[in-house]
This record gives sequence, C-alpha cells and structure tokens, in this order.
Amino acid sequence: MPTPTAMVSHLSKSFGSVRAVEDVSFEVFPGEIFGLLGPNGAGKTTSIRMLLDIFKAEHGEISVLGGKMDEAKKNRIGYMPEERGMYKDLKLEPTLIFLARLKGLSEAEAKRRLPAWLKRLDLYDHRFKKVQELSKGMQQKAQMIATLLHEPDLIVIDEPFSGLDPINTRLVEEIIREQQAAGKTIIMSTHQMYQVEALCSRIALIDKGRTVLYGEVDQIKRNFAGNAVTITGQGDFTNVPGVLDARQVNGDWHLSLAPGAGPQDVFRALAARDGLKIERFEIAEPSLDDIFIWVVQGKQEPSHA
Amino acid sequence: MPKLWVIAKHEYLKITRKRSFLLGTLAMPLFFVAIMAFAIIMVIASEDQRPIGYVDLAGMLTTVTQLPPEKSGPQPVELQAFAAEAQAQAALEAKQIQAYYVLPADYLTSHKVQLIYWDKAPSSSAQRRFDDLVRANLAAALPKDIAQRAQSGVDLTARSADGQQEVSGESAVNIIVPFFIGLFFSIVVLSSGTYMLEAVADEKENRTIEVMTTSLTPGQLIGGKAAGLMAVSLTQIGILAFTIVLVVFVGAQFIEALRAIRIPWSMFMTLALFFLPTFALIAGMMITIGSMVTETRQGQQIAGALNMLFTVPFFFIIIFFSAPNSTLATILTIFPTTSFLTIALRWSMTTIPQWELILAWILVTASAVAMIWVASRVFRLGMLRYGQRLDLKTVLRAVRTGAEG
Repeated sequence: MPTPTAMVSHLSKSFGSVRAVEDVSFEVFPGEIFGLLGPNGAGKTTSIRMLLDIFKAEHGEISVLGGKMDEAKKNRIGYMPEERGMYKDLKLEPTLIFLARLKGLSEAEAKRRLPAWLKRLDLYDHRFKKVQELSKGMQQKAQMIATLLHEPDLIVIDEPFSGLDPINTRLVEEIIREQQAAGKTIIMSTHQMYQVEALCSRIALIDKGRTVLYGEVDQIKRNFAGNAVTITGQGDFTNVPGVLDARQVNGDWHLSLAPGAGPQDVFRALAARDGLKIERFEIAEPSLDDIFIWVVQGKQEPSHA
Repeated sequence: MPKLWVIAKHEYLKITRKRSFLLGTLAMPLFFVAIMAFAIIMVIASEDQRPIGYVDLAGMLTTVTQLPPEKSGPQPVELQAFAAEAQAQAALEAKQIQAYYVLPADYLTSHKVQLIYWDKAPSSSAQRRFDDLVRANLAAALPKDIAQRAQSGVDLTARSADGQQEVSGESAVNIIVPFFIGLFFSIVVLSSGTYMLEAVADEKENRTIEVMTTSLTPGQLIGGKAAGLMAVSLTQIGILAFTIVLVVFVGAQFIEALRAIRIPWSMFMTLALFFLPTFALIAGMMITIGSMVTETRQGQQIAGALNMLFTVPFFFIIIFFSAPNSTLATILTIFPTTSFLTIALRWSMTTIPQWELILAWILVTASAVAMIWVASRVFRLGMLRYGQRLDLKTVLRAVRTGAEG
C-alpha cells in the first residue's frame, strides 16, 4: 500500500454548541480521484478545512503530503473552495498572477503558463476585464485556473461543476482526468453523483459529521446490489412497502429498497397490488444516488453487505 | 520574493492605483500649492517696484550709498538719493518714486526721519531697505565684525534647558509647524487605518480568505497588508512633505516670514518613534472590526467612531495652548490612542517631560501588541464567517480561548 497523500483519522470539530464533525476518517492515495460525498451540512467542507489547516481539529490526526501541514506544502496544494472567492474589482489576469505568486510561482513563470490556460478555458479575450464583469461560469473557470496554475500535487476541489453548462462541465471533467493522468491526487467534494461515478475510484460518504461509507466505488456498489430493483411495467410503483425511493428512469421504474427489505419482499408486495402490470423485474446494480439515499435515509448498512 | 512582500506589493498597487487614492493624496498638496501661489501673486501684485527716494540733510548717508543685492528671492526696491526735498517731491508727484525719506540735519540727536508718500505707504521690506542703509552708514566707522553684528540687529533666542525647545524672534512662525506636522501625520495614520479596514473586509466580502489561508500564514497575510498600507502612508507623507518643502522653499523667495521656518527635527524623530506602534494599534483595531462585519460599509461606520479616540486631542487644543502641562494634557499624552496627536500639539508649547514620552511609548507599544494579538484571533474566526456578523460574545470567547466558533 503506498503512503497516502492525505489522511484524516477520527476528526472532530465543534462550533459553539454545534458538533460539525463527529468522527471522520479517510485516506487518499497518490494519483487517485477521491470523492467526498454527503448531504448539505454533513461536515464535508469542515473536514476539508481541517485537512487544509484552515480550521484546527479538536481531536484526530491529519497527514498531508507525508506529514503535518507546513508552509512549503501549501505551495503543493491547489484548493478550490465551495465559497468561490476572487477580487471582484481587479482584472482577471493580474488576479490570477497574484494568486499564483502566493503559491510560490515567480511572476515570469505565472505569465508564461497563464495564456494557455486562459485560451483553453475560453477566458483569454476576457483577461483584462474585472472579475465582477465575468459571468458566474467564467468566474468558476477562472477559479479552476487559480487552483491549477502552480501545478499542485494535491488538488482539493469543492463542487467543481456547480454553475457550469454541459460543455464547460465536460471541459472541467477532462481537465480533472488529465490531472489524474499526470499523477496528481484529487479530492473532489460534490453532490453530483454521476460525476462521482464517472470520475472517482474511491469515495467517503459523510453524514451528520461521521464517515458512514468508505471504500472503492465498485466494491460499494457490489455491496449494495440487491438493494434496488428495476421494473418495466405499467401502473403506479410509488408507496410500495419496503421501498425507500421510487423514480422513473427512461420509462423504467427504479426502486431503492429500505433497510431489511429484500427484492422478494418487494415483488410480493407488488404482486398483491391491483392495477399493476409487470413486464420485467430485475435486481439492479445500485447507482451512487441509490446508495446515497439508502445510507443517508436508511441509516443502516445493507443487510447482506 | 517572500509572500509577505507579494501581499504588500499587491496591496500597495491596489490602493495607489485607485482614483480615490490619487484624489485624496494629491488634494492636500495641491491645496498648499494653490494657497502659496495665491499668496505669492498677492505679494508680487502688492509690491511697488518703483524706487524709494531719500534726502540726506544730515549728510550721513555718504559712506555706503548702495546696499548689496539680496542673495535670493525678489530684489528689493532701489534707493535713490535726491539733493533737495523739492526734487524728491517732484519725482513723487511725477510717480517716478513711490515715497521718499527725509533724514533731518539733527538726525543723530533726534533719531527721527520723515517718510513722505502719496496714498500708500511702502511695504515693510522696502522700508527695511532704507533702515539697512542708515544702519550701514552709522556702523561704517566701526570695526568690520562689530559693524556686521550691529547691522544684523537683535536676534534673541530662548532655549529650554534640555535644548528641546527654541524660540527666537524670527522663528515665531515655527510654533505652528509642529501643529501642522502632527495634523498631517494624524490624517495619514487615520486614513491608512481606514485602508486597513477595507483591506480586511474586502477579503471577507470577496470570500478570498480560504484561498489565502491555504497559501500563506495569517501573519504573512496581515503583515503583508500592514506593510503595504504603511508604504501607502509613507507615500502620502512623502508626497505631502515634498510638496510642503517645495512650497515653503519657493514661497520663502517671496514671503519673508517663511524664511524663518525650521524643521523641528527632534519632534520629527519623536513622532517617528510613535508612528509604528500607533499605526499598529490602529491596524489592529481595524482588522478586528473588518473581521467582525459583513460589509466594508458597516465597518467604516464603526471605524469612524473609533477614529474619534485618536482625534480627541483636537477638542482640547485650547488647553494645550493655555496650560500645556496640565493634568489633562499629561493624561492625553500617556493614553495610547491620543499620545501621537497630543505630543504633536503640545510640542511647541512646552517641554514634554521625558518620563511622559517614555511611558507613553511603552503604553502605546504594549497596546499595539495586545491589539494585534486580539486581531489575529478575531481575524481567524471572522474571516470564515461569510455573510455573518460576529457578536461581541463570540468575539470575546475567541479572544479568551482562541475558539473558531
């Protein structure tokens, strides 16, 4: 097992009487894209902030790039926070050069690297505009440049796709893959499960300040197989006993099962219901969406996991 | 370049490139230039350049008939001798001369001269020119060094025992110099405090603090901002000082009173010693306020009230003039926020006891250190509370325990 690029172990943190993080642990290894998931207010951002030494953890252990955070390591980290921040009354190009210089890049080197990034993210013609004159999506892309311009070894990105149209989403996705291919370690916090499925090899799901799910995406999905079924048929498949969530996907019904409920139980319940016509009933490989809902709402590990 | 200097340079350029900075910084120097230009024009316009005549009935203005020209500044009016009063009167009526003196035959015993002019008396500098001519002739028979001393007249200088204060007849104008220097320093220090507030509140308003915190230490961030803003202050002081020196230098060529102005170096050095801790004290206060509020405008309102703590000595200026060693003056000298301005205002009125200066410096420095410490704790807490105003209870807890929430 290689040495993790980032590791947090049993972190906890309170703000006044509010326990923001109770017990969060995970490890992120070199060259992987690691997904940090969880509902709003679960403690993801606070955990990231503790990892990056923005907040001090009350308890627990943190290791970044092989040890405790220090000033030299800050130059090897690229961070795109959830709260996007740019100097709104400054022009784009000098702002990005300034931020790169704070990461230890010389002005000349920052100026050399910047045009390629600006062109790639379609911001080159806007480089002399004030940041406040840019659209939200453009500001988002500018923030991406600020995160990557100094070529960090560890990239921490919080909701990298929010505010982006499909074309730019694909572009950012492509950039993230390229960074991984270049050997960078990426921690990505997001709500967009399909992005996590597409990009991440491993995830940690945080809920109410605790790591409730952790491991390889494929393994987690295998563990949760049997906790969802796909049905082709006619009628109303909602409010079925033993089903947490029912939704239509491409004409089929996708049912996430409640903890303790098996596919057989659900099949029996459907068979007993009038007005339903079932053409196909199959055990589905759960999506991360299903797993997210199952874990966050179900509060239990799968019975057969 | 160390990150602290990157921040300092960024902050300096950000502020000095603002139109409001240029206007604010150049307004006062331009005001001085305008005032001085007006004064010079008035002096030139009011100065009658026609010669002044004299009729020497005493026969004593024969040894020295012409005074040497002035070394600098505008040349004084010419003195023109007339053999008889009638000739001088004719020249006056023909407006060839602006006035004429009659030195009576008994001048050496009466010590009286007669000045005849049409409707406007000659300027004091023109009259002094004739006085100099009389004095030069009276002293002509004396040994050269005594003659020179007699011609230069009385020049009494009163010095305090410690040499800190000096007052002479010609340097009376210097009484107000420390007052103005103190005033300018205060304006600059207070305006840099406001810049500090904006610099901190801007980070919060722009939500850049997370990126900053993962790039540098709070010390580098705050230190860099403080260094940049101090450079802004020094730029303002430099521009102001250069303008004042230039204005006084040029003005002195035309306005005699300005030639007596001397820079009070001892006060300058003393205020320079107080500048850094006073700046740090204000900066600490402004960082704290900037960290607590959600918008720059909110902070400016509070900062306006806090500035009063520094400018309150202006309200007691009459007391500094009438009783510069009163208990109130001493208290305001020692109190950290009022030390700087009080020292400047008291300087030309009295000799401020050394123990007061030393105690004041210790207190203002200690206050500055304490305030910066408080500011660093509140800053860390406040910067990550986007859109939230910190209440006093939370701030006090953060100061007491270093808690982040």
